[in-house]
Formats: sequence, C-alpha cells, structure tokens
Amino acid sequence: MNAILAIARRELDSYFATPLGWVALTGFVFITGFFFTFFLFQFNQYAVSAGFDPYGGGAVDLNEVLLPMFFGNWMVVLLLMCPAISMRIFAEDIHQRSFELLLSSPVGSGAIVLGKFLGAMGFMAVTFAATLYQPAVLYWLGAPDPGVITGSYLSMLLFSACCISVGMLASAFTRSQVIAFMTTFAILLVLFLLPGLAEGASSDWMQALGEVGMGSHVEDFGKGLLHTRHVVYFVTFIGVCLFATQQRVESFRWR
Amino acid sequence: MIEVEALTRRYGDFTAIQNVSFSVKRGEVVGFLGPNGAGKSTTMRILSGCIGATAGHARIGGVDVLQKPNEVKRRIGYLPEVPPLYGAMVVEDYVAFAASIKGVAKPAMAASQALERVGLGDVRDRVIDHLSKGFRQRVGLAQALVHEPEVLVLDEPTSGLDPAQRREIRNLLHELAAGERTVILSTHVLAEVEAVCERVVIINRGQIVSTARIDDLAARRHGVRLRVAQLEPGLIAQLESIEGVCGVNRTSTGALEVQADREVRAAVARVAVHAELLELSPMNSLEDAYLELTGSGGSEPAGLDASEPEEDAP
Repeated sequence: MNAILAIARRELDSYFATPLGWVALTGFVFITGFFFTFFLFQFNQYAVSAGFDPYGGGAVDLNEVLLPMFFGNWMVVLLLMCPAISMRIFAEDIHQRSFELLLSSPVGSGAIVLGKFLGAMGFMAVTFAATLYQPAVLYWLGAPDPGVITGSYLSMLLFSACCISVGMLASAFTRSQVIAFMTTFAILLVLFLLPGLAEGASSDWMQALGEVGMGSHVEDFGKGLLHTRHVVYFVTFIGVCLFATQQRVESFRWR
Repeated sequence: MIEVEALTRRYGDFTAIQNVSFSVKRGEVVGFLGPNGAGKSTTMRILSGCIGATAGHARIGGVDVLQKPNEVKRRIGYLPEVPPLYGAMVVEDYVAFAASIKGVAKPAMAASQALERVGLGDVRDRVIDHLSKGFRQRVGLAQALVHEPEVLVLDEPTSGLDPAQRREIRNLLHELAAGERTVILSTHVLAEVEAVCERVVIINRGQIVSTARIDDLAARRHGVRLRVAQLEPGLIAQLESIEGVCGVNRTSTGALEVQADREVRAAVARVAVHAELLELSPMNSLEDAYLELTGSGGSEPAGLDASEPEEDAP
C-alpha cells in the first residue's frame, strides 16, 4: 500500500517537475476559462432577451442551460489533454530505463499500474481544482445547484479516468511518447464519436457498437447527471484498461 | 547465497544464456566476466527479478527468484547497466522514493544514510540530470543500497567512467564488500576484477566457460616481461633455452616478453642480469587466461585493454 502511494506521489510530482504538467494545467484552465466567459455572456444576453418575452417564458435556468454548455465543452478539451497527460506514464520510464527500478523493487505489476494511475488522476484533480473559481463566480452571480456542480465535476473526473486508462495502456506498448499520444487520441476519438456514427445504422451490431462507445454515456454527464448505468459503464471500462495494462507490465518479464 | 542452476533464457529464437550454473557463497565478491553480448546482463536481470527465465532456477539465500520475486527483491540491490534514474528528480527525493518502494520503514533517513555512504552528501539537493556521469552512477548505487540488501548485483558499475571516477567506484565497492555482503559484479575490465573480486565466473556466448579463483586462473600462465639496458643478440637465444620457456618476443617499446608454462622468473633473472637487467615483471596473465577461455585469444585483444577499456556509451 505504501509502495502504491509512493509511486502515485512520484508520478504526481513528476508532472510539476517538468514543463508538461504546467503547460497542460495552464492550457486547461485558460481554455475552460475562455468557454466560461463566452457562455456566460451568451447566457446573459439570452436571459435579458427572455426577460422581455411577453408570454412569460422569462425564467431561464442557469442549471439547465449554462452548466451543460460548458461542461459539455470540457470533454472535448479533455479528449486532447488526457492523452498528453498519460502518454509519458510508461513510455518515458521505458525509454529512460528507470522502469528497471520498479521492476527490481518488491512491488507487483498491479501496484505499479495502480500507483501511476492514481498519480495521473491526482494531477487531473489538481487541474480541476484550479477551475473552481468558475462555480465561485456562478455563486456570486446567481444560485447554481450545488448538486449539479458536484455531479458535473465527478463525471468529468470519471471521464478523465477513462481517457487516462486508455492512455496508460497505449503508453505501456511503446517507448515513444508521440506514438502513445496519437494512438490514445485516435482510440478516444473513435469511442467518443461511435454512437453518433451508429445512430443512423439499422443493423444490430452497429447499434451494439454504438453502446460500446462513450458518447451515449457522456451525454448526461454534461447535465451533471450521474446515472448508475453510466457509472457502471465507466468503472468497467477503466477496470478493463487497467487490467490489460497490468498484464502488459507483467509481460515485460517474459518478453 | 546465490545459486544458479541450469538457467536458460531465450528471446524468441535467440538464446541469450543456456544452462548457466554457478554459485556464490555468503560474503564473497565475484566478478562476472565476458565479452559484450555474452549474457552477463541477462543473467543479472534474471537474478534481480526484472525478467523471467525460460528454464532453470535462481535462488538467493535459498529463495527462488521466480517463485517468490518480492521476497528476493527485498534482499537484493540491483544496479542495471544504465542506472535507472528519474532525471528530473532531486537526488535525495529519488533515493527516498527508491527506499519507500523497497519497503524501507523510514525512507528519508535510509536515503540520507545511503547518500553519505556513496559520498553524495554534498549534492543531495541537486537535480539528477545536472550531475556528472560518475555522480549519476553513484546515485544508482545509492538506490541499490538503500534497503541494506544482503546481496548486491551490479551490472558494469564502472562502464563509461573516467579513470579517476572508476577508481572511486572501485574503492566504494571495496567498502561495500566488507563484512557479510555478497557482491556479484559484471565487467569487462580485467583490472577491476583483479582489484575487487576473489573469484570470477567467465561466460561466453551464453555459457559458463570457467569459474575459478583469480589466483588459480592467473597461475595457469607465467609470462614475464623484462627490460634490459644492453640488448645483446645472444640474449634472446639464451632466454629461449631456459627450460619451460615457449617463446620470446620483442615488443615495439623494446621490452622482451617471455612466454612460459611454468615459473621461470628466477632463471630469467639469472640470464638477464648479465645484460644489465632494469625491470622484470609478471605479465598480466589474467588477460591471457580470459582471452583463451572466451576464444578470442590469438586474434588481437580488440578493445580489451586491461587498464583502459574503450568507452561503451549506450
């Protein structure tokens, strides 16, 4: 257990010891901040014009209109950012040979994978924490539902965890971070778009394929809804990816 | 302490080591010798639990490496050929990290002791990437030592270092080997083996060709190198007529090299003293023995200078 935490801690620290972590964090906060400001002005305009509506449709709900808009956009940013965070997790270790320190230490491959996963998630949590000024502004302006905001943040963490688990698997297969990044991004993009592609299809297997994709499961996330169905989907997804990564790490002993 | 039994490892079709068996007693310092690609690193990586074996057993202190890897890894310190460093980390943090994943109770304290031990006390708060190669090698050693292992497995601990750094590491190895600690180190620098090890295991093309005490190995050959002030024409013939001498060569520097199959130093001295003997020394017989055993004798000793090996940058 201590070893898992030590690995997680080192992993988290490593993001801040190199420019990568700072660039990713700043980039994320900047882009989401841009969306936030943009949607806030748009919402303001919409609310003002709705106020003049003679038929009494005047009440526009911040929770129903504004929040889904910008948390929905978070996912697009995460789709790019998570592969950048996860690409180095194994590739760098393998490339600079530091992986042998882990392999020759009395820690199992499961602990290595879990430790690194927790470290990367720790970084995502820090990044998300840096965006908390956005809900703070909303509280200052209006009365957002704390449930919706908490739910949105949790679902974004779950979505990132999913992306990072895919990225770790890809990273364990190469010593090149660029290849790890591109593979991860390609896989995530397909999974993200799959339901949309499958929508018009009539065949059953296309429909089934659509269910495998993330799209249908992330739709509700933007609204801050955490359905059990979606949570089960994501937890299973993450579990499968981490297990496959662990198998891969174990196989280093046998290659 | 270390028992290796019929160890075989294949990478696909390529057999890296085959039927390798040897053992090392507690407290012994053993050199693992062989040309590049002979299978030294593969054997050491199996011993350290980094990779598995295709067949055979390796036991450390009676515990099988492949069956109980974690128990073995707690008792073993391993320094790979390229030290496994996180370049962006601060020296002290790195060693403390190594200590905590190796299950040391007080990582920070263990790290600072290990750093003092390898003489890195002054650079403990520097970033590893900013250190010289010799220092980085020592950080690697600190990592291998931090959990006070009973066995040290060091893969070419002095490769790529300059002579001064190499001497420092060698002195360090002397200190580390004192007491009950068992050390196995691979190298292709013969001088190092002679300086540090009591016994050598010579491996060639994946197979053990000899395990012998250094003294025994060296005693097989009795070459003598001498230098005289007046090299008279008859001297070489006189030397050749000594019983046991197989041949006399004149080197480009003017010294004479006498090859013999038994102890001839006294007889050579008696003959050479008339030609004003300046210098008489035994030739590096370990090198001969090594070259003979690895089958690279006869041909020129490519890159195998006993004192100054070529740089083998990875």
